[in-house]
Amino acid sequence: MATIIESVGVVGGRGRRARSARKLADAAAERAIDRAGLVADDIGLLLNAGIYRDGNLGEPALAALIQEDIGAHPEDPHDGDHGTFSFDVANGTCGMLTALQVADGFLRAGTIDHALIVASDADPGRHMAPDFPFAASGAAIVCGRADGPEGIAGFRFAHGPPLVSPTAGPATSGPDEGLRGTVAFERGRNRLTIVQAPDFDAAAGAWAGEVATALLGDHGLTVDDVDAIVANPLTPPFLDALADALGVDRARVGTALEGPPVHTAGLGVALAAATEGAALGGRWALLVSAGAGPTAGAALVRTGRR
Amino acid sequence: MAGPDPRTGWLLTERSPDGATAPHVARVASLGRALPATTLTTDELMGSTRHHTRIDLERLTGVRERRVSVGDETSLSLAVGAARDCLTRSGRRSEDLDVVISCSITKYRDDLVQWLEPTTSAAIAREIGATHATTFDVSNACAGTLTGVLVANNWVRLGMARRVLVVSGEYISRLGTNAARHVRSIASRELASLTLGDAGGAVLVERAERGEPGITLTGFTTVADHSRLCLAYPARHEAGARMFTKARAIHQVAIADTPVLLREALEAAGLRIDELDHVIPHQTSTRAIRKGMREVSEKLDGAPRNPVVVTVDRYGNTASTTHVVALVEELDDGHLRAGDQVALVALASGLEIGVVLFTVDEGLVACHGDDH
Repeated sequence: MATIIESVGVVGGRGRRARSARKLADAAAERAIDRAGLVADDIGLLLNAGIYRDGNLGEPALAALIQEDIGAHPEDPHDGDHGTFSFDVANGTCGMLTALQVADGFLRAGTIDHALIVASDADPGRHMAPDFPFAASGAAIVCGRADGPEGIAGFRFAHGPPLVSPTAGPATSGPDEGLRGTVAFERGRNRLTIVQAPDFDAAAGAWAGEVATALLGDHGLTVDDVDAIVANPLTPPFLDALADALGVDRARVGTALEGPPVHTAGLGVALAAATEGAALGGRWALLVSAGAGPTAGAALVRTGRR
Repeated sequence: MAGPDPRTGWLLTERSPDGATAPHVARVASLGRALPATTLTTDELMGSTRHHTRIDLERLTGVRERRVSVGDETSLSLAVGAARDCLTRSGRRSEDLDVVISCSITKYRDDLVQWLEPTTSAAIAREIGATHATTFDVSNACAGTLTGVLVANNWVRLGMARRVLVVSGEYISRLGTNAARHVRSIASRELASLTLGDAGGAVLVERAERGEPGITLTGFTTVADHSRLCLAYPARHEAGARMFTKARAIHQVAIADTPVLLREALEAAGLRIDELDHVIPHQTSTRAIRKGMREVSEKLDGAPRNPVVVTVDRYGNTASTTHVVALVEELDDGHLRAGDQVALVALASGLEIGVVLFTVDEGLVACHGDDH
């Protein structure tokens, strides 16, 4: 019994929806559920991995609002059915991958039949972040269980070295975590500030390559055994550095997106692109993410195809 | 094992032992907490309100005092303090942690700077030296820590991790400071903010030895029709955050749904309520806790062996850390003994309702003996 990815839904930010991370998540969730041939009530666990949301809401979990919006068993408990449990998981741009690992545990334990993972980011509004740097976007993944050979085979996460070396002096300008998002009271109001070191994506790509290689080693594989690489974030420096670290052609790690970077939804966007291009054919797919910390994570998926 | 199939009950439920899908059992190995040194009485807080409110908050909620940071503690420092306390009591090394999960609502460092990323869990792991641990944050309002325990239990049961530290630090009393400027009457939706206190809490969940009882059941659900009854976000023109709560409506849902879900959890675990030694609910107010417990006893036709645990009078509502603050108090006071069955009941914005059932073992009692 293993966890399988049943569907992916992606939405871009246009019009009023672009101003609400919650509405982006709602739309992506509904798209993924529909593509999986399910209804919202089939979802036993709903995890939200998005970070930048409407008004920087701190409580409740945004997942609970999404659950109500999409109508996944929002009602009071009653006999003869199961409810839905929702909460938020945060791990920067690795958040969807972390949520996938959390969902994998409950699916493998037989606790749930289907999990929904959503992630979205948008300008929080209320004049809190006039220079919000990320694209308004949302993505959702529906996971289920299967008895066949396919499914998630393993995960690996690790923290990378800080970007500033205390002995060698500053290796870069910007936070030593590579990327930092904070809300602080300045000039009479709470403001969201996001700063990123200029060479962070390249450093993150190199670190992601190390973590992915280690995961492959855990399973006695090399990158030559992998048929598809799904990488996030989809920025040129990250993808270049990842391809270098893995020792593969640049074209194998995906196509960079134009415009502002997609943040927490990036893994879903990359997965949707790979799925549409039938890139998940073959035996093994490797999902790779890296983000603030720096932290990188990877998942190995047996596609079941020969 | 008695009880309904986990996927047909309303709760997302895992119960142990369950060799069919999970080879291991998880146990609560140790607990730790951190409390700010400063005590703020309800009289002092209500004396600071901008408007003359005529509210007798202590009579209304039972909260006599709470611990507060006066700039000396933040969410991060309280979490780190609790994590260190937990590890010291357990005798475990930080290097032995496979996973660190941070579950706080507030994520303040440097006084009131809220860090959205990188994660608070990574900062905690770095501070305590858990350099090889996988880290991530869980956010689930006041049910955050027990949600973290749910994930930890799942991972340990499956063998995905051997030792998980679930930790939270809440520097949340500033919501009360902000509310004191706005509350005018008992009908104010910011009244609940005046009950808040600061604390850190940590739970070490690890694989039990064969035959040890450990965590019997975790069961959670989100009744999302009520997701907008309590909302908190950064204030527009004040440092920190504000929280708006429809307390009466939350209380009504809790009174209606909690007994149903607790009954389901107990049936799944093969227990009756009178076989529970201790029930520790989320700490909101003494009146709500006692009324809720009376309702549970009436509907489940029985009562736990000991009175419901109340600490809200001394510490206020410390958000996601209330259960740990209470558990440490009960263990240190010798009220919990090896073999005792404990039910932790979560109630949080969302609306989140959850139950964690576990058996206190000798190792846990030893962590909180006189030597500590």
